[in-house]
Amino acid sequence: MADAPCCDDFRRTSRRSFLRGALAVGGAATVAYGTAFTQTSYAATGSAERVLVVVSMRGACDGLSLVVPHADPTYYAARPRISVAASSLLAKDGMFGLHPSLAPLLPLWNAGKMAAVHATGLPSPNRSHFAAMEDLEDADPGSAARVGWLNRLVGRDGVGSPIEAIQMGGGVPSTAVLGPQPTLVTSGIDQVKLPGATTATEIAARRRSLSTAWAGSDGALGTGFRSTLDVIDEFAPVHATSATPANGAVYPRGDLAQALQDSARTIRADVGAEVITVDHGSWDHHTGIGTIASGNLKNMADEWAGAIAAFFKDLGPLADKVTLVTISEFGRRVAENANQGLDHGYGNVMFLMGAGVKGGRYYGRWPGLTNTTDADLLVTTDYRSVLSEVVTTRLDASSAEVFPGFQPESIGAMTSL
Amino acid sequence: MSVAAAPPSVPTPADGVRDAEPTTSRRGLARGVIGGLAVAAVAPLVTAEEAEAVTRAHRRKCKHWHRCARHRWHTCRHKHRCKHRFHKAKPPATTDPGTPETPVDPPPVDPPPVDTGDPDFVVSPIPTAESLHLGNRFTYGMTPALHAQMKKHGSPQAWFEAQLNPSAIGDAKADAMQTWWLSINLDATAIAQRDKDEIEGGWMAMANYARWCLLRRIYSQRQVLEVMAEFWENHLHIPLNDDGVYTYRADYGKVIRSHALGRFDQMLRAAITHPAMGISLDNARSTKKAPNENLGRELLELHTVGRGNHTEDDVKNSARILTGYRVELWTTWRSYYDLNSHWTGPVRVLDFTHPNADADGRAVTDAYLTYLAKHPRTAERIARKLATRFVSDSPSEALVSRLADVYLASDTAIKPVLLALVASEEFKASAGLKVRTPTDDVVATHRVMRTEIAKPVDDNSTANSMLWQTTAIGHSPFAWARPDGPPERAGAWSSTSRLLASFDIHYSMAGGWWPKKDATYPTYASWLPAPTVRFDAFVDHLSRQVLGKAAPARLVQACSEAVGVAPATSVDKDHAVARWKFPLLLTTLLDTPDHLHR
Repeated sequence: MADAPCCDDFRRTSRRSFLRGALAVGGAATVAYGTAFTQTSYAATGSAERVLVVVSMRGACDGLSLVVPHADPTYYAARPRISVAASSLLAKDGMFGLHPSLAPLLPLWNAGKMAAVHATGLPSPNRSHFAAMEDLEDADPGSAARVGWLNRLVGRDGVGSPIEAIQMGGGVPSTAVLGPQPTLVTSGIDQVKLPGATTATEIAARRRSLSTAWAGSDGALGTGFRSTLDVIDEFAPVHATSATPANGAVYPRGDLAQALQDSARTIRADVGAEVITVDHGSWDHHTGIGTIASGNLKNMADEWAGAIAAFFKDLGPLADKVTLVTISEFGRRVAENANQGLDHGYGNVMFLMGAGVKGGRYYGRWPGLTNTTDADLLVTTDYRSVLSEVVTTRLDASSAEVFPGFQPESIGAMTSL
Repeated sequence: MSVAAAPPSVPTPADGVRDAEPTTSRRGLARGVIGGLAVAAVAPLVTAEEAEAVTRAHRRKCKHWHRCARHRWHTCRHKHRCKHRFHKAKPPATTDPGTPETPVDPPPVDPPPVDTGDPDFVVSPIPTAESLHLGNRFTYGMTPALHAQMKKHGSPQAWFEAQLNPSAIGDAKADAMQTWWLSINLDATAIAQRDKDEIEGGWMAMANYARWCLLRRIYSQRQVLEVMAEFWENHLHIPLNDDGVYTYRADYGKVIRSHALGRFDQMLRAAITHPAMGISLDNARSTKKAPNENLGRELLELHTVGRGNHTEDDVKNSARILTGYRVELWTTWRSYYDLNSHWTGPVRVLDFTHPNADADGRAVTDAYLTYLAKHPRTAERIARKLATRFVSDSPSEALVSRLADVYLASDTAIKPVLLALVASEEFKASAGLKVRTPTDDVVATHRVMRTEIAKPVDDNSTANSMLWQTTAIGHSPFAWARPDGPPERAGAWSSTSRLLASFDIHYSMAGGWWPKKDATYPTYASWLPAPTVRFDAFVDHLSRQVLGKAAPARLVQACSEAVGVAPATSVDKDHAVARWKFPLLLTTLLDTPDHLHR
């Protein structure tokens, strides 16, 4: 990037430089000064032109219940007790339809702002939650580097504010955000502050005191400490933004809703967060999937759909810069088990919502289903192709940089406009 | 199905607070709670109980634990019906109109009376630099009591050598805690039955095991043993929430502890053939027909010679050798050696060869594991790991090689290696270079705060809820989700979220606000060294108690800035800094690089 400035580079540089509060003079010099500048000041308020929100449906959700292949008779044969009747599906086309619990998202779908890509997943099956999540979020098979795809994404220009990528809700960094680029992992907006200080005077005193105590402390933790003060500075506009959802949005209860509400508030404050990742789970429904009237899947899907619908409503016009993608570590078996549940499978569905989505339709090649105990929904689209299309169209990222060694295929579900 | 478990930063219920839903299969339970301790990548997987619609009926009977964001002393089990659920965070009052406040005139500070250290260690009122370093590296935190112990032994070295013989050290207080949670002392069948009967779910048994480990770390007099038990349990790591390991995991931990200061070859044999290891890494279901490679591979890659020193053929043969150690999973949980499962035929792994003709493969397994334990690459790996844990993140090759030589020369005995490590110049020069891991931070803070934790009576009891302190901070005992064990280098534990979580935990504890139930903290005023004392002398006294050293001028200044009190101010029990400003004062010491490094 430094040796061959072009339009894309310039655009990114200027955006990032603005984020840093540096003067954008273009080209390599800006990058160099920008980098240097970040080490001395994060105080300026940043801005993100476009935002990617990743919702991880932990525990392996059942994509076949959320986007039902109603025209595949094997689906009904394999699930005598837990299938979703074709007549109850929403947004039906000749092959698929949405679970009725997704009704809150129907306006988004009908407005062409929501799409589903079916039969997606890892290149080969992995039925261990942890191992699959690790593979999925590392997204760099064969490398021992332990750098997550979101870390590579925000680290792509080498300039880093720790709030370019935020994991909202959850105290331990997920694999996706791990890596050399500093990121912010927080259980919520309220936690991004110095404990033991509320008023401006108290905060100033506490900062002064901590800075005195940490002066001259080098090493990783000393760096982490200074980064922490920067995060608190950069995050200040978020605290100053009203906690009340806008545009009459009403969030359901639950952690996902809380995390998305905090995310909407962060986006509204426009502090330069380019990536926000949120976890939701558990979707690990080995038992009691239930029906569309009651059961574990309905409960989860209601909360999930309600929270996301409220999130987009809350964003209002800001939704024009926000793209949301969902991901789950693997899918579940085709056939129901003895407990009206589903054991660990393989292929799954991914949803795309918001800015740039060519929505209102289903994507992906349907592999057909098999009705045996161990049969999986097969994967016809590598999940990285979907993510790659999102990050290249929306965030000017290079696929090769974010997903090393991977040749994405085009889905055609996204536009940069 | 909802399995109540811990969202990472929200303290959550322990035993008995699972929503009563009868349909859970054992396996489903175990899986659903993979993230039960909310560690590593899937913390949020555990928010399942939130995901369940919070119905009116649920609110009525809700037993979910919460802490009020505003009134930090308020904790209750009625998260969804408690009036406190509406409260927003606002720290405890920081204005006390009645108390006169001395405006700060930030220093030049008169350095407080500095104790230059007594040349005679035995009468030194505070640890010498050397004893502080040894204490911080080989215990869970220096305390005045530990310093007194070292003095009693005449020198830090003598104390260390005594610690290497733990059976000679009385440990009544910590030993008694082993009975606080029943499952720690039950066999696999009983533990599984309790899970099945929903008396104590498997994940709860594992939470209880983690709690017991935390308490031992705080209170055990055999600190070096505890430190080494954790070291080896992390090296031969079995995640607490792996499917089904709850049946054997506490026993596994005890086995590791019994070898922690013994010999690595013996520990390796005990660990690799233990049913918990077999369950975790699939050897328990490995067969002659289809040897499962999981354990065979990790044994080479993680436990012994390390990556890059073996081939795929080595892995296959490694797996073949290990076949036979079975467990009747999900039924009786019986562990047994199955002659019919053992693969026979000649094997070769690295330079180990064996005809392996006997249907009973236990002898070849023993020989193979002994071979691996004594392999030079294993020696180097163990030496490097020890040096990384106890010396610095990047120990010199010379040190690693010297420790590896000692390890091999002493037939894999651990004590000689530790003695050589502690005697090395590199160790002596490394004070304060290691970042304290989050779990160690929680433990050390309890140690220096002198928290007295009583036998738990319910989920809110500190002995139970303190586990959520460690999950909130991002790292609880043995919950690291992958077989490679938690990272040891500073980079992993230096994030913004870690620091803010650490600061939050320090402040909660400095105030004595949480965890609180069935625990006592010293009263604020009891930290005063005399009825009336200058503020800088008060800080110095606190520094000696909490950080094990006299307060440098910078710390006095930081404390002065934090609470707005000038160094020369006279302080007594009625002064703000001994009352409502005390938590802020104490947390200023706990938030220092000194406390967060070891």
